[in-house]
Amino acid sequence: MIHAPFLQEGPPGTHPTVQVCQGSVKLGIGIVNYCALSVDSLISSAIAIVLTLAIVLFVAWRVRSGVPGKLQVILEWFLGYVRGLTHDTVDPSADFVMPLAATIALYILIANWLDFFPLFGYVHPANSDWNQTLAMALVVWFIVQGYSIKVQGIGGYLKRFTKPHGMNPVIRALFIPLNIIEEAVKPITLSLRLFGNIFAGILMVYLLGLLFNCGTQPGATIGRIWIPTGLIGMTGWKLFDVGLIGLIQAFIFMLLTIIYFGDAREGMHEHAHRESAAATSA
Amino acid sequence: MNHAIAVAGALIGAGLALAGGAIGAAVGDGLAGNATIQGVARQPEAQGRLQVIMFLIVGLVEAMYFINLALGFYFVTSVAASVK
Repeated sequence: MIHAPFLQEGPPGTHPTVQVCQGSVKLGIGIVNYCALSVDSLISSAIAIVLTLAIVLFVAWRVRSGVPGKLQVILEWFLGYVRGLTHDTVDPSADFVMPLAATIALYILIANWLDFFPLFGYVHPANSDWNQTLAMALVVWFIVQGYSIKVQGIGGYLKRFTKPHGMNPVIRALFIPLNIIEEAVKPITLSLRLFGNIFAGILMVYLLGLLFNCGTQPGATIGRIWIPTGLIGMTGWKLFDVGLIGLIQAFIFMLLTIIYFGDAREGMHEHAHRESAAATSA
Repeated sequence: MNHAIAVAGALIGAGLALAGGAIGAAVGDGLAGNATIQGVARQPEAQGRLQVIMFLIVGLVEAMYFINLALGFYFVTSVAASVK
């Protein structure tokens, strides 16, 4: 029997919790404990936050005039890219979106790439807990709603729910429920996308570990072929999942954040167009 | 007995969800790849930019499948744990 540390881990999805107060809601077959804290997610997200701050502050502290370091070049390129994306998608006046989106992307990337390191037990990728990703998505969603009300006013904000503009009022009234659903599922899809990818990643590692375990059982002779298969599969999957999917998901979360801010200004350009068209025709 | 029936139903449901998700993700990946090939054939110099966008779309499309996988696992485990 081979003793590999990753075989000692239980199936993913069970988080050790600490009860801070009493209270739970029965939802379907499951019970939602809104008073419980997932200790492992708190620890791993704290590590990711400290690492993000340390890397960024280190680069900011080392900034000098002259030839910049490699990390500084990468960060400057990234921030410039996010700023350009914000200006194109949202508006040049919405500069506050840039630090928000860039922080989210950096934090998610570092939290995902923490999975490269052999950390066991309490430390797992923070985004494999739905509480974590839902919290980020809800923060983004509420800021988007606030921004939409701030730029468009309450009337313009409510008018957004009667898309498509410029159609018969009856048809626009029929579209209201659809538009409300579209807006309400945004935080859910945004958080589930990140959570599902990262959680499926560690789930696959667990399943490949079981495959490896098949070969290490006493009396397994033909089954020993699963040891190299499991190891190679795990290495390849880990590289693909953590390296590529972790990067892509961090980028997608940031991109969708910016796109949602762009959606919050929906309808404003048409007004401007109509007014300019009226001005030129008059 | 109830437990066995519930777990069997949950497993079948998770299998159906995975099958549908796999079909959808495969079709979506194919469409993204198809559009990228057409774009590269038309404008070979745009290959780098198109590849970045393709990987982005592939990430978005496959996210749906991974959501299926994770939620299917959750349903199976929660049904197995809660139905007596």
